This record gives sequence, structure tokens and C-alpha cells, in this order.
Amino acid sequence: MSVITLDDIRPCLEGIIPAQIATCAQDGTPNVAYLSQVYYADARHVALSFQFFNKTRQNILANPHATLLLLHPQTFAFYRLQIRYLHTQTEGALFEGMRAQLAGIASHSGMAGVFELKGADLYEILTIERVPGNSLEAPPPRCGLLGQMRRCSEQLARCTALDEALNIVMATLAQELQISHAMILLLDPAVQRLYTVASHGYAVSGVGSEIELGRGVIGMAAQALTPIRITHMTGASLYSHAVRRTLADSQPDLALDTDIPYPGLAQPQSQMAVPILCAGRLLGVVFVESAEELRFSFEDEDVLVTMAGHLGAAIDLLRLDGEEATPAAAAPAAPTCAAPDTLLQVRRYRSNNSVFLNDNYLIKGVAGAIFWKLLNDYQQRGRTDFSNRELRLDASIGLPEVVDNLEARLILLERRLAEQHLPIRLEKTGRGQFKLIVGARLELTEPD
Amino acid sequence: MLSATHIAMIDRGVSTIVASHDALQRPSLMRAVGAAITPDGAHITVYLNRPACVQLLADLQVTGQIAVVFSEPFSHRAVQVKAGAVELRPAAAHDAPILARYLASMEHELGQIGVGPHHTRIMLSHQLADMVAISFRPEQAFDQTPGPKAGACLLSGGGAA
Repeated sequence: MSVITLDDIRPCLEGIIPAQIATCAQDGTPNVAYLSQVYYADARHVALSFQFFNKTRQNILANPHATLLLLHPQTFAFYRLQIRYLHTQTEGALFEGMRAQLAGIASHSGMAGVFELKGADLYEILTIERVPGNSLEAPPPRCGLLGQMRRCSEQLARCTALDEALNIVMATLAQELQISHAMILLLDPAVQRLYTVASHGYAVSGVGSEIELGRGVIGMAAQALTPIRITHMTGASLYSHAVRRTLADSQPDLALDTDIPYPGLAQPQSQMAVPILCAGRLLGVVFVESAEELRFSFEDEDVLVTMAGHLGAAIDLLRLDGEEATPAAAAPAAPTCAAPDTLLQVRRYRSNNSVFLNDNYLIKGVAGAIFWKLLNDYQQRGRTDFSNRELRLDASIGLPEVVDNLEARLILLERRLAEQHLPIRLEKTGRGQFKLIVGARLELTEPD
Repeated sequence: MLSATHIAMIDRGVSTIVASHDALQRPSLMRAVGAAITPDGAHITVYLNRPACVQLLADLQVTGQIAVVFSEPFSHRAVQVKAGAVELRPAAAHDAPILARYLASMEHELGQIGVGPHHTRIMLSHQLADMVAISFRPEQAFDQTPGPKAGACLLSGGGAA
């Protein structure tokens, strides 16, 4: 019989059925303890949570040898693992991933408040034994995952603009993986916050809503640069995150309502956040959630991490490439949105570039500065056609740094405008080119 | 001695996990497929399926050291008992009703956490001819319910489990 690897028994490490561990004290006295979850660290290592200084903990510090008993949640076969304690991690990706997962488990088992992860105890796997006994036939492996990844990757490799890339990932999540609630957030490097740039499955899109690094599942995945997957969760959990960023929080002197509500589920049971990285840099987060427990398996995590990698590469390449203006073959005729004598009041606060349309908050920051420049060019010179390149070179917009993703700001602005149902919108006319379509008389004011 | 509550829990038939160690102080471990306790709590017998516990049975034979956790799956209420001497014997016909009663109880216990009786029977499947009965007198007992108090000593011997 071939050697069993940890990857062969990954369903045992999903925290569905508790495991047991046996250790020995210095004098040999054995001890048994239950483990809510044995965590997969890599193909050769598992990690156990260090929450209390209990007998198991005392024993492994004196004698690093331990034995684990795992039950396969689908076949009901037992596996025995001989393991050896190596060291304890108190920060980093593994630790943060376990801490988030543990918070979910703690709330699930009525132990919220009890848990506090002191460390992630890392163990080397010495042997894995399939314990002789009856078991069920293993269900066939999920088929088609590789095909789904291929289709997504192919489409990403062919796309020429960021909005296409975002749409491809969203469509893969919804149609191929049947995930009904998802968001993509991108990092604003200047303020170190994530803003929602695409979502599906929510009553309101939440495009433009912001999350701080380190906050909730999304913020932790971004900060620790690690996927975080929670299989049981309650609304009371520390990691539940009805995160709302308000302008008043960051700039209390401005009493303006610039709050775009975070769109997430009120009572998620499963969540997963995967960082979008490129060349070691954080670009954003892909986030999915469900009202079902155990909705996302390690296979879903594998797929999302792969997809986020492709998306990261695409975002990075498109950012460099997106400045080359190429007109569309046939620019669509711009229909008039409304009677041009309708008055649309636009107010801009210079301090944070927040823009209000008829007293309703639209957008702020770089996207607000872009919008203000477009409106002024339109108002003063009647311009309606613009290019990404000229915005990039325009000092008045004040793009924070060279790595800033201008196209992402334009997508945010375009989507926010589309959601207002007002006679003003942006429309792409070609690669790196777009048109401002105004169906109203504009009145631009700057109160401060 | 063990409290009446713990004796009742063990007597009813709950999850039973058995450990020992070898001469090099490496632990061995397996789930028992049956358990019994005398009404006064002075003697406990656990049943192990020989093909699934070769190392564990060898270790029990050599060292006599045993640790057993009894745990209610639904409530996570648990107690651990330890002893330094065990008696091993092959199970006999008179053990069959004990094993059947244990299985019925476990079907109920695991049913409460969503494990169907079919799956419980797979987990605890065995042939009577393969059964080994391990009897011991508990020398130490520890509260093993998860949380900060896990390990509190309930019976002579001291230390934390």
C-alpha cells in the first residue's frame, strides 16, 4: 500500500469531527485530550492551537512525541499520526489564520470569550497510519476544478482592462463555483484601507465601502497576507465585521455623511478572504461568504488562492498597460439621460475631495478629485472625452503615488455614478478612454 | 472517588478514548468500542479492537499505564481517568451484551451531534473474537471539559491532566 500523505486526508483537518491527542509526561504517564481542530500547516506539518497551559502543553515541552487520532468525516476511517512538536508561532500567516478560525469555532461551541490563541504549536508529521477497520467508500473527488481554473485563467490572460478582469473573477465565483455572495476589494495604498470595487449577491452593491487593514476576516487576510477561512461562524464573533467606515471616524471635524454601508451578510456561517498579491505586494482581497456552515472547503480555498494569484498578475500588468489609448471600433452613441434643463447640484469639499450630488454623498479621495476635474473641464470647455493618460499626468488630481491604480478609481467612480440613477455617468469608449455623459445642467460649488 | 455524575456518564456509554505509551515514552492511542464501570466506580473496563490497536495493546501489556477520556459528544463534558496497572483478557460471550448496550448508547450520543447510526456502527464495528477487555482501578481522575478549568484534579494523585 502506498504511503499516505497529509494531503490524502485533508478532509480530516477541516474541524468537522474533533480529534484526540495523546502525550506523555516526563515520567511516561500518558494523557489524552480532545482537539477541536488539527490545522493543516503544509504537506509535512500540522499545527495545534495553544490556548491554555494544560497537561498536553506541559507534556510536549518535556517530551515532544505525540499521537493524533483523526476520523475522516466522509469515510469514517480512523487515521493515527505520529507527530513531533517543533516550536510555537505567535504571529504570522499560520497564527492569524488559526486565530480567525478559532474565533469562529469558539462562538460555535458556546465558548466565545474563553478562547485566546496564545500560539500555534507546529508539529512535524513522522508517520500516518490508516487504522484497520471498516469504512465507507470515499466520495469521488470534486471534478472540474482544474477546468474551472483554466477557463478563468484563459479569460484573465485575454482581458485588456481591469473592469473585465473583475467581471471574469465575479462570473467564475458565481457561475462556476456557485458562490452566491462575493466581493472584490482593492487596497488604497495611501490610506492603507480596502475599498469594495465589485460585489455580487447583495441587496446593495456596497461599491466604495471601506475596510481597515486588520479588521474582520477581510482586514486580517489583507494584513497577514494569508487566506482566512472560517467554517463555523456567528454574528457575535470577534471576526464578524459589519464594518462601516465613516468620514467622521477619520476626520471628526467634518460632520458629513460619506458612509457607504458594507454590504455583507448579517449572519454569515462560512467566510473566506484571500489576499490578492503580486510580487509580494498586497493589491486587494477576494472575499466570499455563505449563510451555510462548512460551505467552503480546502478545495475552494485552493481555487480562490489560485484565482487571486492570476487576478493579481492581471491587475499589475493592466495597470502598466492601461494608459495606451485605443479607441473602440465603434463608439456607442450616447443617449441623452434626461432633459438637459434639469439642474444637478454638485458640491465638492476640498479637504478630502468628497463629492455630493444633490446633497447625496457620491465619492471621495482620488476618485472624487478625478470626478471634480472632469466636471470642471466639461463645464468650462465643454469637454466630454477623456483619457486615462491625461488624468495620470494631471497634478491637480494628486494621485498618491506611482503604484496607485487609476483604472480602479475610474471603475469605482463609474459604478458609484451608475448606482445614483442621476443624469450623469461615465462610459468607456475604448482602451484607456472614456466619455462623461451629462444630461442635466450642472451647478458646481465648493463650500470650503 | 469518581462523582456519581461521572460514574453515571461512564456507565451510560459515551465516547471513550484510550492511551498508553511504549518503553521510549512515545504515546499510543485509540477509540474504545465499549466501556463499563462498577456502580461504586472502583473498576473500569474498556474494550479495544485488537487489529486497530496493536501498539496500544502491546504498550498496555508492557507498561500497565493507561489514560482514558470519557466524553459526552453533545455537551463536551468529559472526565479523564488514569491508572498504573491494567489487566488484559480476551472478551467472551458475557461481554457481548455490554458491547451492544454501549453501541446503542453511542448511536444516541453521536446522533445528537448529527452522526447517523449507520456511521456510528462503522466507527465502532468489531468482531467479538477480536475484542480485548482492559480492566483497571482508576487512581487519578481529572475534569476534562474544555476550557480554562480543564485538567482540574478530581481524585487522589494530584497534578493536572
